[in-house]
Amino acid sequence: MNMRRRFKSCSPRRRAELLLLAGALASLGGCASLGPEPWRHDLMAEPAMRINAAPLEAAVDDHIYFSKEASSGGRSYAGGGCGCN
Amino acid sequence: MLATAATGLLAGAHANAQDYSTDVPTTTIDTGLLYYHENGRVRAIEPDLNLTQQIGEYSVLTLGFTVDSVTGPTPLGAVPSTLPQTYIRPYKVIPLGTPVTVTTASGGSVVTLVPPATGATTETLSATSTVPPNTYPLDKSFKDLRYAAHAGWQQTFSTGVTVDGGLAYSKEHDYRAESVNLGISKDLNQHNTTLNAGVNYEADLSFPLGGTPTPLTVMNGNWKGPDTTRSEIDAMVGLTQVMSRRWLTSLSYSYSTSHGYQNDPYKIISVVDPVSGQPTSQLYESRPDLRHKQSLYWENKVHLPRDIVELGLRGYRDDWGIKSVTAELRYRYMLPGGTYLEPHARYYQQGAADFFYYYLVGGQALPEFASADSRLAKFNATTYGLKFGVPLDEGSEFSIRVEYYDQRGNGSPFYAIGQLRQQNLFPTLTAVTVLLGYSYSF
Repeated sequence: MNMRRRFKSCSPRRRAELLLLAGALASLGGCASLGPEPWRHDLMAEPAMRINAAPLEAAVDDHIYFSKEASSGGRSYAGGGCGCN
Repeated sequence: MLATAATGLLAGAHANAQDYSTDVPTTTIDTGLLYYHENGRVRAIEPDLNLTQQIGEYSVLTLGFTVDSVTGPTPLGAVPSTLPQTYIRPYKVIPLGTPVTVTTASGGSVVTLVPPATGATTETLSATSTVPPNTYPLDKSFKDLRYAAHAGWQQTFSTGVTVDGGLAYSKEHDYRAESVNLGISKDLNQHNTTLNAGVNYEADLSFPLGGTPTPLTVMNGNWKGPDTTRSEIDAMVGLTQVMSRRWLTSLSYSYSTSHGYQNDPYKIISVVDPVSGQPTSQLYESRPDLRHKQSLYWENKVHLPRDIVELGLRGYRDDWGIKSVTAELRYRYMLPGGTYLEPHARYYQQGAADFFYYYLVGGQALPEFASADSRLAKFNATTYGLKFGVPLDEGSEFSIRVEYYDQRGNGSPFYAIGQLRQQNLFPTLTAVTVLLGYSYSF
């Protein structure tokens, strides 16, 4: 009851964020039953299907964007030099 | 370039869930040569080398090296004017009384002697450059050479847990960064789920040419303050999930805190006359020494009957007031014989930092923080590219990628004063990159 009152007192934006977080946590539990059987992993075994399949290319891109834009990070740690240009 | 280390290590961590092949090559050499060319501004050439070595069944060593050579004009941060403008910067320290024969410096500027203080044993040469009327002020003397290296180790245990650690180092003529990272990942649910967490600590040293300027003081030719430091801690948690035989999804959240000197020591901000809009002085920029960043990154890969689609989305915000969204799409169009064509599009949009100003207005109180660095302005950017990859023989691949980058902001803010109304305060930045890649596994 107390939780419900607290939730209602949140701003609509905060409420949306909490719902998203709750959804993400719920989906974690759901992961246990997600995904194909091991013998159907053929396509996932292809190198191009890896997350960050081209690390050198990704690192080059990250450094360019780090030097030209204000945001960094996300798929890797931010930083790596001054970016003073 | 520290990102290289982190990216490689995370790639390894994520790959656990998907790497089932028993005939895995033990050594992979990845090489790249980047050519980057901004229209009328910076050019860069960057050779890269990455080595991945499988050691035994459960260990992987990664090593990487990069050299990055950058030259060309870069924005000063000042506004253009209908009148010629001069900019001065310290150039060189020499013993008192040394005969001065140099009259020009890099970028065509004029070298003059700054009168030494009483009792000083050294004196400073300063370089003055002139920007023609109605021209966006650029620093033509910019030149840099960066060396970066990283090393990482990844160890997988029979429990499905993988631990990785790494070190990275990068050195420029005016900046040094050292970092250490540690990560852990766990495979669950018949290799369909990978949970990972990692942390990275970075310590930087900034030693600008001409010394460290005092924020919001008037640009001058004197040699300035001592070296400064900055540190950053990044933490990241992620979940990678094989959703179906064809769909892989990954969600990462990262939080970062940086503390210390975060100014660009070469950037200035104009103070303009409140009526005419003519610059009356130029001040060194001032940024907060603390920054907290957060980002959420969602990546998807879908294997169609023949082709592969990749969609990445990132939301970012920090306590400097910057918010951004990024969307990135790749489509790998498979051709016969393992050859492929991969069109790529990226859209990026960011809001301005709270302390971004195109200029400051004379006669008004100075804010605590102020920067006219266009990278802290509101803008959007698009990238279009095409990659062509061809397997040369078993285990090796050659690729070429050409991309076009276009960054646009508001060059005519409605509140511009006097002559600034006829100037472009945010010229569009365009760049072309060509990336050649060759990888070999054996």
